Amino acid sequence: MDTSSLGISYHAILPELITATAAIAIMVGDAVARKISRRTAGLLALAGCAGAAVAVFSLWGETGPAFYGGMIINDPLRLSFAIVFLAVSTLTVLISIRWIEDEGLPAGEYFALLMFATTGMLLMASANDLVMIFLGLEITSISTYVLCGYRRQDIRSNESAVKYFILGSFSTAFLLYGIALIYGACYISGAHPAATTNLQLIRERIADGALFSPRMLMAGAAMMIVGFGFKVATAPFHIWSPDVYQGAPTPVTAFLSTGSKAAAFASFSRVFILTFAAASVMGSPELRELQSAWTGVLAVMAILTMTIGNLVAIVQTNIKRMLAYSSIAHAGYALMGIVARDWQAVAFYMIGYAVINIGAFAVIEAIARRGDIRTSLSDYSGIGFRSLGLASVLSLFLLSLAGIPATAGFVGKLLVFKSAWGAGFHMLVVIAVINSAVSWYYYLRVIVLMFFSEPAAEFNPPSLTKSLGVALVIMAIATFYLGLLPGRALALLENAKNQATMIVAK
Amino acid sequence: MDQSGIANYIPILIIFLLAIIFASAAIVLSRLAGRNRPTSVKLMPYECGVEPVGAARERQSVKFYLVAMIFLLFDIEAVFLIPWAVVFPGVLRDPSLRHLRFIFYGEMMLFMVVLFVGLFYVWRKGVLEWNR
Repeated sequence: MDTSSLGISYHAILPELITATAAIAIMVGDAVARKISRRTAGLLALAGCAGAAVAVFSLWGETGPAFYGGMIINDPLRLSFAIVFLAVSTLTVLISIRWIEDEGLPAGEYFALLMFATTGMLLMASANDLVMIFLGLEITSISTYVLCGYRRQDIRSNESAVKYFILGSFSTAFLLYGIALIYGACYISGAHPAATTNLQLIRERIADGALFSPRMLMAGAAMMIVGFGFKVATAPFHIWSPDVYQGAPTPVTAFLSTGSKAAAFASFSRVFILTFAAASVMGSPELRELQSAWTGVLAVMAILTMTIGNLVAIVQTNIKRMLAYSSIAHAGYALMGIVARDWQAVAFYMIGYAVINIGAFAVIEAIARRGDIRTSLSDYSGIGFRSLGLASVLSLFLLSLAGIPATAGFVGKLLVFKSAWGAGFHMLVVIAVINSAVSWYYYLRVIVLMFFSEPAAEFNPPSLTKSLGVALVIMAIATFYLGLLPGRALALLENAKNQATMIVAK
Repeated sequence: MDQSGIANYIPILIIFLLAIIFASAAIVLSRLAGRNRPTSVKLMPYECGVEPVGAARERQSVKFYLVAMIFLLFDIEAVFLIPWAVVFPGVLRDPSLRHLRFIFYGEMMLFMVVLFVGLFYVWRKGVLEWNR
């Protein structure tokens, strides 16, 4: 065995190591102190996120061959998505430090699970092997299954956890079946290794046209679309998400709808854009056929996803459920980036969406109070002038979700629409724009309810806590920053794109 | 040797055949040679000492599940040690891998530490105390 091919490098997995260490430190602290204080646990989690972010920046630009026998890769896609995940985790920690105390829930387990989920998400972006993607996905999923049911006494929270667990395991099985088929499809007699789950090798073998069975590869790709489709909640596979998002505790919903969605998009991009698409550019006509097959399927899925998400969101009476359907619609827009084979657009979309969606859920959390009681839309009528600060930031986030210019949501949409148009999916873009217009209705309805209708129920303005306030300010500034001055972030991504094409060309 | 041939799977086929022969031989031989004096208790289906007929919904203490889960976790993770222990002497012997021996050893120790953190956590949280 060649030792250099092992590629052991602790620097390459430093972000994952730091978040995992933070999680274990919180667990040990919780065990030693019998009950860790929420402040200590929250600070440890924040320190973990900050440390991991420093590690990500130290890895920036250091792209090279894969590490750990081809399991881990450090490339622009990994680093860009790692920033998204760490931003999501940091914001989730900030909005839940006080919440966990108000709810009377144990803080240690909560923050430890959050950090473990972050580790899994980071691994999903850095994986260069289908098995590693699967492992990352499982680490993320198992942590989030528990988090969904974290309010143990609440029957809705229990329902959410059970549904998420059963449907999540179901989708994982599809993904695993897809991995198995692709492993078999890449079999070459006499080669070493004979069959492979390594994405680099899969790409080479597809490009060489030396596959055992292209049809098997197509079946495997279809299974993987189903598996990832479940995880990002795209249309035929979206049924779980409204129930899960509604029942889960609000900060967990914020985390789920942004973090694990972004993680699934990272792996989705890695497998479909950087492996299949990159390979079939060079491949035989047979493979180009495979390429057009999955692109078509994904385009139809994107249309279905955004249409169903937006139309069903209109009739919702619960704000968490409404934002769950809105989240489905946004998965549809982001899927256009995958169709257009532009992962940079997806990454930018996800960071923008993460900021505004966590922001919206943070306000909902403050208004809902202990036990998530006030989540019906009627609870929002007439609160605008009684709690002006909260109502205005919620309006900002909702407008940004709708895609008003000068905010993060607009730039994200513009980017995916532009790349889909450039790739020749004109019809898709037209439908997406119509959908976007439809979505204005239900986002604006909340704003109208807040500011222009009579207060229906007794409403005491919630007092804003320090950490929640800080998080809201950060997210509001980030919404405008990404919306007005996206140049810096885009330049980073553009730079990343050039590097990525260089790597593929090699 | 052919790395990929179906011939490699012949031992598995033999095991299957042996299992079938053994199972059917046990049934046939006991039918032929054994004495057969059935009583109502003997004819009851055996199910690990659990009453086979009754209400399907029976309440059981959650402690059983906790212990079963912890047992499964640590059991599976202990199984992971065995392949490592099989490979490790080879690392020590192979001159091209010898300089990596501390990494190989350290990684497994790290794994064990994480395992013990889990055990410590479970113990401090009082899962191991049955009467609580």
